[in-house]
Amino acid sequence: MNEEKIDNCKNNIYDHLIAEEKNKHSVYCTKCPSKILPSTLGKHMNIEFNLPHMSQKKNCESIECELLSDYWMVPDMYMFDNIGFSKPIESGLKYLICADCEIGPIGWYDDKTKQSYVALSRVKHAEDS
Amino acid sequence: MAKTYDYLFKLLLIGDSGVGKTCVLFRFSEDAFNTTFISTIGIDFKIRTIEMDGKKIKLQIWDTAGQERFRTITTAYYRGAMGIMLVYDVTNEKSFDNIKNWIRNIEENASADVEKMLLGNKCELSSGRQVSKERGEQLAVEYGIKFMETSAKASVNVEEAFHTLARDIKTKTEKKLVTSNPPKGSMQSSGQHLRDNGPKKLGQGGGSGAALNWLSSRCTIL
Repeated sequence: MNEEKIDNCKNNIYDHLIAEEKNKHSVYCTKCPSKILPSTLGKHMNIEFNLPHMSQKKNCESIECELLSDYWMVPDMYMFDNIGFSKPIESGLKYLICADCEIGPIGWYDDKTKQSYVALSRVKHAEDS
Repeated sequence: MAKTYDYLFKLLLIGDSGVGKTCVLFRFSEDAFNTTFISTIGIDFKIRTIEMDGKKIKLQIWDTAGQERFRTITTAYYRGAMGIMLVYDVTNEKSFDNIKNWIRNIEENASADVEKMLLGNKCELSSGRQVSKERGEQLAVEYGIKFMETSAKASVNVEEAFHTLARDIKTKTEKKLVTSNPPKGSMQSSGQHLRDNGPKKLGQGGGSGAALNWLSSRCTIL
């Protein structure tokens, strides 16, 4: 019960984006007009994952990451309208990027489960135009 | 789970390095944001969705990602490809001459019935042009494939080119489905076929066993 309460607190800032655990609105790129995911195809999940920052400091060897915990889980990659996949990094993981401007990572893809995870904080949510 | 698409086509972008293959995939700007972090890792493929005749078509598009520097692309890369965009740079004669070599490479490695299209990219650069539009058209006629000049930079014809290629694959796929057996409900074409001789047999109208065999391998639901 306690865990649930914590989760609920964390979700507050995203509550208005979620309806019956799914994305209420379509998902777009933050930098270009590319539509990434239609509404209701992503399931909201709380998973902690260290996602590298979209912009990294120059001349810095280490990759700076951000611990994010709110993701849209997409069970089938063909549910995306437009998406790009990086080459595999470690253990069958690939980063997700915008198919049009290649900004990213906006999430990650797990080749074992075939599931994709899009970080809520790295995309834009808007009604279908 | 209900399918969110009607067709799935695997497409490849092929041509010399520097002809702007990657740029052909940016719809809204000439440059990618492509942070050094992502470009170091490299990009595997992209998924694009287009609509045609009320059908939702998913395009899985692969860029050769540097492999072209070795002037050859491995068979594994061609596996399951249903469409190939052959790209040259209109300001680079050599890239145009090499199209012949790329076509030979495709003939040796890809499925015999793969749909091809020729793109002369960077047509916005009129000053440095080395290959006229007529020569592009002529080469395309020679190989019996479609041709377009594109400018990824000015967003000229890029979307049209992908639509054209997708439409040709769709028409071909539907024709095959009708020839062998009227489809019950919608079928997904996944390009997982491995039998290069299948389509030829199908075209001759005989050997329904082989045709069905080919179909079942071709229409695997992903």
